[in-house]
Amino acid sequence: MNGRVYLDHNASTQVHPEVVAAMLPYFGERFGNPSSVHSFGREAREGVEIAREQITNFLRVSKDEVVFTSGGTESDNLAIKGVAGARGAGHIITSPIEHHAVLRTCQVLETQGFAVTYLPVDGDGLVNPDDVRRAIRPDTILITIMHANSEVGTIQPVDTIGAVARERGIPFHVDGVQTFGKVPIDLDGFGIDLLSFSSHKIYGPKGVAGLYIRKGTKMVSVQHGGEHERRRRAGTENVPGIVGFGKAAELRAREMEAEATRLTALRNRLWDGISARVADVRLNGHPTRRLPGTLNLCFRHVESESIVLGLDLKGVAVSAGSACTSGNVEPSYVLVAMGVPLDWAMGSVRATLGRLNTDADIDYVLVVLPPLVERIRRLSPAAVS
Amino acid sequence: MNYSETLIDHFRNPRNAGMMRDPDGIGEETFDGCGDLARFYLKVVDGRVADVRFQTYGCGPTIAASSAGTELATGRSVSDLLTLSERDVAAAVDGLPAERLHAAQVVAGAIRAAARDFLSRRSAPSGMKQHV
Repeated sequence: MNGRVYLDHNASTQVHPEVVAAMLPYFGERFGNPSSVHSFGREAREGVEIAREQITNFLRVSKDEVVFTSGGTESDNLAIKGVAGARGAGHIITSPIEHHAVLRTCQVLETQGFAVTYLPVDGDGLVNPDDVRRAIRPDTILITIMHANSEVGTIQPVDTIGAVARERGIPFHVDGVQTFGKVPIDLDGFGIDLLSFSSHKIYGPKGVAGLYIRKGTKMVSVQHGGEHERRRRAGTENVPGIVGFGKAAELRAREMEAEATRLTALRNRLWDGISARVADVRLNGHPTRRLPGTLNLCFRHVESESIVLGLDLKGVAVSAGSACTSGNVEPSYVLVAMGVPLDWAMGSVRATLGRLNTDADIDYVLVVLPPLVERIRRLSPAAVS
Repeated sequence: MNYSETLIDHFRNPRNAGMMRDPDGIGEETFDGCGDLARFYLKVVDGRVADVRFQTYGCGPTIAASSAGTELATGRSVSDLLTLSERDVAAAVDGLPAERLHAAQVVAGAIRAAARDFLSRRSAPSGMKQHV
């Protein structure tokens, strides 16, 4: 514990020092435009291509199957609009707990005449692959299901869903922003045709992400301009960002497995400690099929933001499940889709662990959190007086 | 979200929190947008608020505004409280971010309701008139 405890790694991560070191030259002497013919341009191009190799090695795909983008949101947009644009019309299958980058893109496509099926999820947040099979229509052009949900961490059976998609010859897009570099992704084995993945969730810089596009997938580009990224994504490459992203992926190849084991143990210790000390608390998400560092809890009769503020004042950063904008608090749409009752859903708090978290961090949270919940509950009209 | 030091202090150390037995007036206000709820209890002596307690379910700002609201109400005449505005409550926590103004709304509403409750109780035993 070094003063502050950061438990919001699903939101963003600190850039790894080795990543910073790899990026620095590309702000300085290697500042060129990778499209330029001269030596400055060639140096920048080399940085981009090394990064592409680091990422394609990590994903075990060929170099022309990865496109760099500005973020997970752009990758999702490019995947979905890219496939939809190539077909012109048709039906898309997705789930109600996808990231807004997927959900809102699908909603926009609905206004343009595409049909979208939002499959239900069960109480643990899982999509049933049989539901996917049943939802397929003759005009289904795309199945887009996330690998793991950022709020609750539930890992979808993308392998089984991918098998269904492949059997019917339908392109399968997976939003892997929360799983890339955290749990293994076997693109061929899972039958994934398009994978969105991002840098700043794996100790890389913000503003850079990737989209894997399996060879042969019919796509149109969404952003028009120059000939960059084999004409699939126009715009001068974010060279330092891409270089950092490549380095971050390379580091994950070395650290991912051990860290997953360590974070799962830390996360479970946090949950065991909280559930032993605090009454009326529930765990959201699948008990085991879950991202290693993700712990989503609901405290009954407590409003989540008061916990977030209370912990923040103790130096602990977590995030609230319900978001209040202009006095309008919506319970998390993910928890609602999972059927979590409203009086619980309003008190949801997410702690997501990462590489710098230690046992001492967990010990500290277990000291400050229980009295905080207790104190806020005592203030509530629902308190037993 | 940036909160004032006063707000943080009230959130950390809420004044006059808890239930009151046999209050002279009780008022409640909810904010439908987010489910926040504040309940205020008044003890009144000679038309002035002698003691106040609150119970609140809500975000940090709503809890802090409730605490500050009890300080605003203490010592004031009940009739004064009938016109307590959300601006008064927001000022008592040194301001609220625009997205959290509902905190002051809930608290001012609950205090006004408690004042009305006191006045209607006082008049009710005579059976002659009902205050709204």
